[in-house]
Amino acid sequence: MLAQDPLPVSAINTTPQVQVDGLNKWFGALHVLKDIDLTIRAGTRMVVCGPSGSGKSTLIRCCNGLEPFQKGTIQLDGVALGRNARETATARRLTGMVFQSFNLFPHLTVLANCTLALRRVFLKSGREAEEIAMQHLTAVRIPEKAQAYPAQLSGGQQQRVAIARALCLNPRIMLFDEPTSALDPEMIKEVLDVMIALAKTGMTMVCVTHEMGFAREVADEIVFMDEGRIVEHAPSKDFFSAAAHPRARLFLDTILSH
Amino acid sequence: MLEIWLGILQGLGITAKVTAYGLVFAVPFALVFGVAQFLTTGLTRFLVTAVIEFWRSSAVVVLLFFFYYVLPVMGITLSALTVSALVLGLNTGGYASQAVRAGLQSLPAGQREAGMALGLSRPAILLLIELPQALVAMSPTFVNNLIQLVKATSLVSLVTLTDMTFRAKEIAQTDYDPVAIYSALLLAFFVVCYPIALAGRWLEARVNPESGTPRGI
Repeated sequence: MLAQDPLPVSAINTTPQVQVDGLNKWFGALHVLKDIDLTIRAGTRMVVCGPSGSGKSTLIRCCNGLEPFQKGTIQLDGVALGRNARETATARRLTGMVFQSFNLFPHLTVLANCTLALRRVFLKSGREAEEIAMQHLTAVRIPEKAQAYPAQLSGGQQQRVAIARALCLNPRIMLFDEPTSALDPEMIKEVLDVMIALAKTGMTMVCVTHEMGFAREVADEIVFMDEGRIVEHAPSKDFFSAAAHPRARLFLDTILSH
Repeated sequence: MLEIWLGILQGLGITAKVTAYGLVFAVPFALVFGVAQFLTTGLTRFLVTAVIEFWRSSAVVVLLFFFYYVLPVMGITLSALTVSALVLGLNTGGYASQAVRAGLQSLPAGQREAGMALGLSRPAILLLIELPQALVAMSPTFVNNLIQLVKATSLVSLVTLTDMTFRAKEIAQTDYDPVAIYSALLLAFFVVCYPIALAGRWLEARVNPESGTPRGI
């Protein structure tokens, strides 16, 4: 139902779409990412979880060049990030990013938010851009709000628009940075439903979230982070049935007991 | 009384001319230097700030005299109108540049990040995302700056321009009636500035519908 080329789930291949090697990042003296190695294959639905301050948001922000890093390499579809502005710009076009605080542009309508990059980065005509944007707004079930401004929408509606805006880039991979953390409980479901539908299209997704129900339903792989390190990276089934690392088990016990 | 009024209003043309010509200096200065102060760092930012502070923190009367009387000694002769527009315009532009910078700085970092994530270049983010929001948010301040500019034109009478203040002084020399003349001058400036203030209040209500704007006259 989403306007992506539908890719059967069985077509998950083994090409690494994101390759992170020896990634280290410091904020001043604070060592926030420590020797991160991570391979994300095309079609993977990955959930990154862990206690706050464990570096999970920083990790995915590094993956589309929003955060500079000091050591290591990140490759998106073989294009290296952070070496120079041109390669970073190319790599960015391969990724769609959804933020915790939506970050819609308040001075533009919903439709204009979605067409901005199509027109200014991909140089589509106004009409073509609007057609593409309307397809994605329909997919996130909010086409009737195309002419509204972000301030006229609820949080859940704004986040769905933000997802449509990111999908307009026709990205190879979607990054979600705690997409439901700023939402009221009754709005979380409408956003998760859109994400689940997106996952079924075969889109490569990396999602930082505390929504363990979503992780169990959608994720193929779980990455658990603590204190700047990946302490466990396992298939979803194994992680929930028998997390190997004591820190991950403690985290699961705490979060699932709610 | 009416005669005094009409006499003073003969200077309105110059007042309007200095204001309009002053805006030609003020608007580009405020935009270029406000944005430059926002984007630059280190030595460049220091130099940008130094230029802004020169225009903003000098006394306008002193700047007027300096450019009118000192520049010709250095071989640069500008007309009284140009000197007035330049000095008043850049002084007002100095103030307005701070509103431009503050407006840009007050935007959440997420706006720029969302632009970057969409693959937009830095100049595109500035032009399409940051400036439109910052300029609308700061528009009430720009109206205040405009009122300051109009009021500051009363100083150009000191460099021989026959604005409303100059006309008032001329009339005061022929018929000695300071109470009537300067009351009329006061009223003349009020009549020019008050509609601008009203327009500013209307603008503020549109920009910030939630926040309470001052009511009454």
